Amino acid sequence: MKIFYFEFLKLRKKSRGWIGPILVFVLIMTAFPLTVEFLNEDLDQAFFSVLWIALMLVMMLATEDIFLEDYNDGSLEQLALKNQSLALILGTKIFIYWMLIGVPISIIGSFYGFGITRSFDLGLNILPILLVTSYIFLNVFSFGNALSLTKGSVLGTLITMPLVLPLLVVLGKVVISINIGLNYFGFLVLLLGILSIIIVVIPLIISFIIRAHLE
Amino acid sequence: MKTIVKATNLSYKINEKKLFQNISFDVDAGSALHIKGGNGTGKTTLLRMILGISKPTRGSIESFAYKDVCFTGHKNALKQYLTVEDNLILLSLNTHINLDKYLTDLDLHNSLDVTVANLSFGQQKKLALLRVFLNDSDLIILDEPCVGLDSNSQQILCFFINEELKKDKCIIFSSHIQLDIEANILNLDKL
Repeated sequence: MKIFYFEFLKLRKKSRGWIGPILVFVLIMTAFPLTVEFLNEDLDQAFFSVLWIALMLVMMLATEDIFLEDYNDGSLEQLALKNQSLALILGTKIFIYWMLIGVPISIIGSFYGFGITRSFDLGLNILPILLVTSYIFLNVFSFGNALSLTKGSVLGTLITMPLVLPLLVVLGKVVISINIGLNYFGFLVLLLGILSIIIVVIPLIISFIIRAHLE
Repeated sequence: MKTIVKATNLSYKINEKKLFQNISFDVDAGSALHIKGGNGTGKTTLLRMILGISKPTRGSIESFAYKDVCFTGHKNALKQYLTVEDNLILLSLNTHINLDKYLTDLDLHNSLDVTVANLSFGQQKKLALLRVFLNDSDLIILDEPCVGLDSNSQQILCFFINEELKKDKCIIFSSHIQLDIEANILNLDKL
């Protein structure tokens, strides 16, 4: 519980770390309809593509210095010395990032869905998908950042980018299901399944990578 | 006396350059080890091995400390964008019974609401050392703890270390400055 509070305190005080990605997301989602014909009937279709891509890019941006600051100031070294599991601490850190960045973005994304498609149900339906997907993206990109901790975050993110491409395919299928009125619950369960594996495995891998960097 | 750290035939090589070879030592509870040596002789590397962060090329090192190791190194592990008070919360020291005493002794009591980035290097070092002064550990490892400290703070540190030794704690430190601490000496220059 203490780790949760500490990580929350740090991120809350470092407002640029979480407000920045949220503003970028809002900017993309607001700018997108301006670039196409407002009354275009296909706007709904394009909206979802932009939504998923924006979500992915913003999560990439959010994890830019998720471990770098702690690495540079020696905090990671101190964490590695604790008898507590480093993987648990890092998993908590990713969770806090999701709480402060992923959740607001998912809610905002859901509102945009409602605004653009003018369907309250649809806006509500994509909320759980956005919540789960943002958490998966955060985990994967955190892994990428840990890989390239001392080499700049872009490199690691690019390496991990192919890992999230299958997820974009699934998200595309979700949109098709919603649009033709099929039950998309199966896709949500699939995403939850992926998430349940990722939230266990990724912090564990990251903890090994970080120990290697510290050495 | 119970051994807290036991090193056997430690060797470390980096880029084919041997930093040190076949170092063996035991550090018991209630005793201190002062690691000496010029720049680049491997003092920090040796301390990191004791901490378990780095691994020796050869040999073994064992720590029998029960609690979390208390360590301060070259990096202060402080958040520059947070105030002194927030950093104390992060270090879980904000409610420590002896906090006020050390804040006063180290002249940090008037800086609680100051952002760490606005503190001088010495003040930041003193804040980082609060982790040591308020520790709850049986093994304390200090890498150049006196860098940036004024003479008064150095005296407080020496007094503190001597008191901790009386409480059967094990202290390993590296320092270029001669400290008034009764310690075994490991000179990496002479190896």
